[in-house]
This record gives sequence, C-alpha cells and structure tokens, in this order.
Amino acid sequence: MSAFKKVLDTLLAWLCIALFAALVLVVTWQVLSRQVLGAPSTWSSTAAQYLFVWLSLFGTAYVFSERGHIAVDFVARKAGPRAQRVVGVLTQLVILSFAGFVLVWGGLRGVGLTWSQNVSGLPVTVGQMYLALPVSGALIAFYALYHLYKIAVGREAGLPINEDEEIGRHTSAVPLIASEDPRLGPGTGPVTGPGTDPEKGR
Amino acid sequence: SGLAEADGEGKTLILSLNQTETHPSYIALTEFGDRLAERTDGRWDVEVYANETLGAQQEVIQLVGDGAVDMAVASGTQLENLNDEFQTLNLPTVFDDIDHQLEVVNDDAVVGGLFTSLEDSKNLTVLGGLTQGARNVYTAEGPVKRPEDLAGLKIRVQESDIHIDMIRAMGGSATPMSYGEVYTALQSGVLDGAENNEVSYMSQKHNEVAKHMARTEHLIGLDYVVMNTGLLEGMTEQDRTVFEEEWVAASEHHAELWKTETEKAIAAAEESGTVFNDVDEAAFDEALAPVVDKYLQTDSARELYDEVRKAAQE
Amino acid sequence: MDPAIIAGIILLVGIAVLLVLAVPIAVAVGISSFVALAVVIGAEPAVFVSSQRMFTGINSFSLLAIPFFILAGELMNTGGIAGRLIDAAKVLVGRMPGSLAQTNVVANALFGSVSGAAVASAAAIGTVMGPRQRTEGYERAYSAAVNVSSAPAGMLIPPSNTLIVYSLVSSTSIATLFMAGYGPGLLWALTCMAVVFFYTRRHPVAAAHERVPLGVAVRTLLRAVPSLLMIVIVIGGILTGIFTPTESAVIAVLYCLALGAAYQQIRLPQLPRILLDAARTSAIVMLLVGVSTIMSWVMSYSKIPRLISDSLLGLTESPAVILLLILVILLAVGTFMDPTPAILIFTPIFLPIVSTFGVDPVHFGLIITFSLCLGTITPPVGNVLFVGARVAGLRVESVIRALVPFFAALILALLVVAFVPQLSLWLPGVMGLLE
Ligand code: NA
Ligand code: NA
Repeated sequence: MSAFKKVLDTLLAWLCIALFAALVLVVTWQVLSRQVLGAPSTWSSTAAQYLFVWLSLFGTAYVFSERGHIAVDFVARKAGPRAQRVVGVLTQLVILSFAGFVLVWGGLRGVGLTWSQNVSGLPVTVGQMYLALPVSGALIAFYALYHLYKIAVGREAGLPINEDEEIGRHTSAVPLIASEDPRLGPGTGPVTGPGTDPEKGR
Repeated sequence: SGLAEADGEGKTLILSLNQTETHPSYIALTEFGDRLAERTDGRWDVEVYANETLGAQQEVIQLVGDGAVDMAVASGTQLENLNDEFQTLNLPTVFDDIDHQLEVVNDDAVVGGLFTSLEDSKNLTVLGGLTQGARNVYTAEGPVKRPEDLAGLKIRVQESDIHIDMIRAMGGSATPMSYGEVYTALQSGVLDGAENNEVSYMSQKHNEVAKHMARTEHLIGLDYVVMNTGLLEGMTEQDRTVFEEEWVAASEHHAELWKTETEKAIAAAEESGTVFNDVDEAAFDEALAPVVDKYLQTDSARELYDEVRKAAQE
Repeated sequence: MDPAIIAGIILLVGIAVLLVLAVPIAVAVGISSFVALAVVIGAEPAVFVSSQRMFTGINSFSLLAIPFFILAGELMNTGGIAGRLIDAAKVLVGRMPGSLAQTNVVANALFGSVSGAAVASAAAIGTVMGPRQRTEGYERAYSAAVNVSSAPAGMLIPPSNTLIVYSLVSSTSIATLFMAGYGPGLLWALTCMAVVFFYTRRHPVAAAHERVPLGVAVRTLLRAVPSLLMIVIVIGGILTGIFTPTESAVIAVLYCLALGAAYQQIRLPQLPRILLDAARTSAIVMLLVGVSTIMSWVMSYSKIPRLISDSLLGLTESPAVILLLILVILLAVGTFMDPTPAILIFTPIFLPIVSTFGVDPVHFGLIITFSLCLGTITPPVGNVLFVGARVAGLRVESVIRALVPFFAALILALLVVAFVPQLSLWLPGVMGLLE
C-alpha cells in the first residue's frame, strides 16, 4: 500500500504543478490579449476558474496525503499516546465520511445533473468539470484509509508530527521534490535553511 | 426530500432571487406569495430569498431540479445552457416592447412546449417570465447613433455568445466582464461603454461614468421563474389553478412596477446629466439580422421565432 | 423546532467537538455543515448542495489572486528580495534609538507591502535580524517579540490574501479594501515602533543606533528599488484599472520570476518545487473557503444570522457596546483560530449586524482582520508567534512574556481602528473608491 501511495503522491504532485503552471499561463494570456493585442480573450477567465478549482481540489487531496490541513490540536496534544491514537483514528473516519458524502456522493450527483450543461465559450460541459469532485474525493478517501490503518497499527503517530517538537524534520510526502515543512506556509525556504537551525536546547 | 416533499398539502416555497429587496421582482414575487397564501388558506406560500444568498442563478437552477430549493429566478442565458431553444427569446429584435413580450410569455400556445421542455430531463418547469426591460447601449463618449459610431469601442457584455455576437454585429468590440467590475472599468477607461436597462444603469451608478445613453432598445430582457416539476405536479388541481392564475397576475403586476421604475430611473438619469439620444433603428436592425439567423438553427426554433413575430403584428 | 435553532446547534456543537478532537478545521466545518443541511432539507439534496457549494465557492476569478500572491511570496523568498528590503529598512530607521529593533519592524512592513503572508515575513526577517540583535546584546526574547508583533502588519498592508478572502464573503471590492488596509496596517507598524521606543528608554543596551554613510544609504536604497517597484506594479495596476486584482497577482508572479532570474537566485529546476509548495499552501486555504461556503448556505437557508443579530440587538441597543462585544468575541476566536477560517465563518454572522447601525462593510473588513491578526501572535494557536519563536530558537512561553507590552498597545490600536472609521476609509474615499 505504501508503494502505491508513493506513486499516487508523485502523480498528484506533478498534476498540481502542471495545473498551476497552466493557470499562470492562462491568466497571463488574458492580460496580454487585452492590454497588448487589444482583443480581449473571451474564454480565459472561465478556463482559469476551472483550472483553479481542479488545482484546489487535487492540491487538497495532496495535503491530506501529508496530513497537513490546519487543525486545532493543542487540546489533543495534552492527551496520552493511546488517547492520541484514538483521536487520530477518529479524525481519519471523519475525513473519510466527509470525502464520501460531500465529495464522492455529492460530486457524482453533481456530475449527473450537469453533464450536458454547456460552459459558455469553452468546449466542455459543467459536468466534466465537476468530475474533479468525486475523483479528488476518492483520493482523499484512500489517504484517509491509509492513515487510519497506519495509525491503528501504530506505524504513524495519532497526531501529525508537530514542527515545534521535531525541528528540522521533513514531512513532505514526495522525496522527488524536497520541500520545507508545509505547515509553515511560504517563506521558510532558503532563509531558514539548515544553517540557521535554532539551538533548541540553549 | 425532507421538508421539500410536497404531498399535495402544500408548503412554503423557497424562492431564490438574485436581486435586492427593493427590486420589482422581489416586490411582485412576495405579493405573489401573499395572494397565494390568502387564496389557499395558507397551504401554499412563497418565501423569497433575495441577494443570491442561496447561490448564483446557474447553481440555483441545479438545486431546484434536485429539490433543495423550490423555485428560482433565472436569466435566459442560464436556460440556454440547458436547452438551446431558449436562445430564441433572448435574441436581439425578437420582441418589440415589454407588452409584446408579456403577451408572448403568458401564451401557452406559443411558449408551452418550450416552458415544459426541461421537465423530463431536469425536473424543471418554467412558470413564466419577468421582464427586465429594454436594453440600451451607453458610453462615456457619445452620442452613438449608428453602428459605425461603435467602431473600436469596448462595450461590456454578459458572458454569453449571443451577447458577444450582438455587440460585434452592432459595431462595437465586445468585452465580457462580470457585472460588479463594470463601474471601475468604465471609470478607468478599460471599457468605453456597456449595455443594460435604465434601472440597472442607475442602481449601479453607471450614470456617473458613462453619460451618453443611445436608445438602441436592441434587446428586451427576460428573466424566467423556474420551479421543481415534482412539486408543481404534487399540487391538487384546485390549488394549481389558483397558483397559475396568481402567477399571471404577478407577472403583469411586475411589468407595471418595472415600467414605473424605468420612468423613475430615466428621470433621475436626466437629472444627473445623462444625455439620451435616438438612433437609426433600421441600421441597427439590419446589422443585427445575421445574428438572429445564426441562432435560429433548428426548424422548431425558427417556428417559435415566427410565432413570436406574428404576435407582434397582430 | 425552528430550523435556525436546529441547524445552529448542530453547527456549533459539531464544529466545537470536532475541533477539540483535532480534526482539521476544514473537515470539521464541512461535515458539520453537511449534517446540519441533511437535517434541514434531507440527506439526498444535502449531498448535492454541499458538493455544489464547495465547487462554486472556489470557482471564482477574484479568489484566483490568492494562489498567485502565495506563489509570488514563494518566489520572493527564493529570489533574494527579503535581504534587500531589510537593508533598505536599516537605511530608513538606522538613526533612531534601538535601530535594529526599528529596522525589524520597518522590514516587516516593507515585506508586507510586497507580499501577503505574515508567517513568511516573520520567518524571513526574523532569521536575519535575530542574530544581528543578539550580537548587539539585545535580550533574545525581546528581539523575537519585536519580530513577532510587527509581522502581522503585512496582512493589513496590501496586497493581502486575508483581505481578498474578506472581499469574497462580504461582496466588497478588493481594490477598496486594499486601499483601506494602509491606514490600519501602518498604525500597526507605528504602534510596534512606539513600544520599541519606550523600551529603549529603560534599556540603554537596546538603544544603540548607527549612522549609515550617505553613499552606502543611496546605494542600498537603489538596490531595493526593483523589489519595491512591485508595489507600483501591483497596487498601481489595480488602482488605475489596468489589471484586475487577479491579473495584478499574476503580474507579480512574473515580476518575481524576472527579478529572481536577474539576481540569479531562481533556477529552472527549482520551479516545480516552488509551484508545489504554493499549490499546497493555497489548497489549504481553498478547502477552507469551499467548506465555509457550505456553511454559509446552511446559515442563510435557516436564517441563522438573523437569529443571532436579533438576540444580540435584544441585549443592548448601543452600537458601541455591540461592536465591543464583537471585538471581544473575535479576539477570543483569534486565540485558537487562523484569520482565514475565522473570517469565513464570522463575517456572514457579524457583518449584517454591524450594517444595521451603519458600519461600512469595508471598515468592518479592517476591524475583523485587525482583531484576528492579533490572534496570530497569541497562544494556544498563533502561527506567527510559533514561527517567530522558532526562528529565534526560543520556547514560545519565553517570547509571550516579552510580547505583553506589544499586545497591550495593539489592543489600543484595535480600538482606534474600530472607532475611527476615517483611519480605514479616508484613503479609499480620496481615491473615489467608496460610494
Ligand atoms: Na501585505
Ligand atoms: Na492565537
């Protein structure tokens, strides 16, 4: 299962990179077409919006793979390791039901309802765009089951690794693209590199 | 589906509207609910959710079909995406004026087939229409009297193929943009003009940034009221008769309110320095004829168009 | 029972319980909203409403500015812009007593004026400034507190992702909000500078200043010009209407790329990683946006905002008291919640209330953002505080003590922001952006 997850992570990472790059290009084209060519593009804003929805949904799935979505965990961290494991399993169950009801079931219903509804200016239908919901939902469900299993058998901590406790440890799921700690957001790259690792012990 | 299940006993119908509580549509639809409650002894009522709080039109239509919301006001553009033939009533020059439009949309013999066309596939019935008035082109620099005067001018249109083709045919450079951005774009010169009815022109304060209004009346706007088909069919025969009678009364009342609002808007616009001018109607009609042809692709669309035009001649 | 009360209880209890269980905030909000919806309109319509709200909540051209500004921020950190801004700040305030601390504040403000993320600012500026202050004999907790307290100014000074999120839930113009952000953002920075000033009075060791030779000063400022030009391009582009905010954000991305390439700090093989990091950060925000769109639908449908506003207005009729009450709630919420989810959750509840007594929605945007920014420097959940302490190599608790005077002063500044609307509205008014 771990090997499968690694492959999936890599594919998902490159999908996000490609969608983001396309997004930059499409909006750049929108500016160019209006300001430079004087012939405003009629499709770019719609196309950019759908690319953005896809990027957000698949990016969301990627972050679930890393257990990186923001949680308020200061209460749970006070609990013992066994209780934390229970909390971790519960969390994955809640994620699983969210993905199942809202993204997969609701998404499939959305795909059905809008399959033949045209998008003005683009050769796609709304339903085709809605496909991102059930697909990303299925991915999130897979990741939830994966973490659920790993937490249950004790191979993952009940709560995700906390950067305040484990400074310098990488939590990125994708070795191909070594990245800084995701929970810090932008800005921790080269500036906080290893050279400035805080002297935790004093 | 929970509270939305109608078992013939009635319910308070949740109606989604994209306008504010002062708009003629809100007033007419709220009164529709009051009259309905009165005549069905409170079995049926309508509660209008204004300001798009339940979602934008395109999304709310899906919710109506799926039963989460009972009724919604939707623009022609939204329904076109479900059935091409709604384009026919959204074409430039198809209606002469509000009265002609009202007569057509309340005439089952002409529009009955179109209005029930989404029942099987989408579980949606179109009850009828609410006029959105004649649309004019307005510009920062003017006056615009003939199609040539629009050459090179960037005119905002809704994001719809018909509207884009329409402004191109009328001579302008069509610039699709969302409604809320138009004011700033006119102010900064990103746009040279826009097209809309006088009521929106004033409520969006476009009179501050585009002072020339050409009475092109190229299009008579139309919103539709759609309803969940299952709910409508669940009504007792007696209640349904009342429902339909009151609906027709509401759409007529709405047209009256609309005309009053338009007169007020025109007066306020003139007061604020907007200059209205007449245009060479024949020249614009001629320019727009190819657009009409382009969107009448099927025999049934052409037939509907001919019926609508016939009503204008009578 | 009234659907407003049923839905309200499910939302409140569901979200609270799941948050305590450390379920991600977005999932807690999403699943609770779905359950509330299922109870009010039935499970089958509820699954579709939920998925559709999520989809359309993200499907917005204005929101698209957020991933672009995040990407621009990533590029800025890689591209050597932070260092140049710090040098420029030093030239500007180097002669004031406590110059290193003042430089830290100004550098955070400058960084904030080209980027939208306070956490990035605290990390980038703190990493460079901390060691310098240490060698001058500053108390480490104090210098960390200076960095932590001043970093959130960047969330108020445009460009600001937080204000873009607010514009979405409040239907206000991004351009207007951006202009309104300068007043409170500068007030935030000046408040920190004032605290530093009083501190130097009592701690001579932290009062040192230095004179920068004119030639060096000019050269340093010139070196920062290309970085600061971003303000002109982004804000100028939006104000003149040449770009929409989203387009200006993509221009910022291209500009950072160009600068990074010119400074030879960004190379092509790094781009995939940068894109992925930015995608991840924006996905976290977008999931929150998506689920809170479900929640606001449930709330609108069951008329919860009306219920809350009726009960609040039943408590007192004094607008000032209600506004103070709201500030207290927001400060409390901010202690454990990030600004973005809190804005998404509380704007639909509070904005209709304050609107009834004439608070401008743009002004309220700055009030809510300012109060929630204060939460980013408070425990138990405060991203800027955590990152600031981390780059200083200190435990959070020791920074907190040094933060107290800054926090107290910023509370006073919040009262000014709340009760002096001109501070926010003057600039957009002068620029003709208000109705
Ligand atoms: Na900023
Ligand atoms: Na906090």
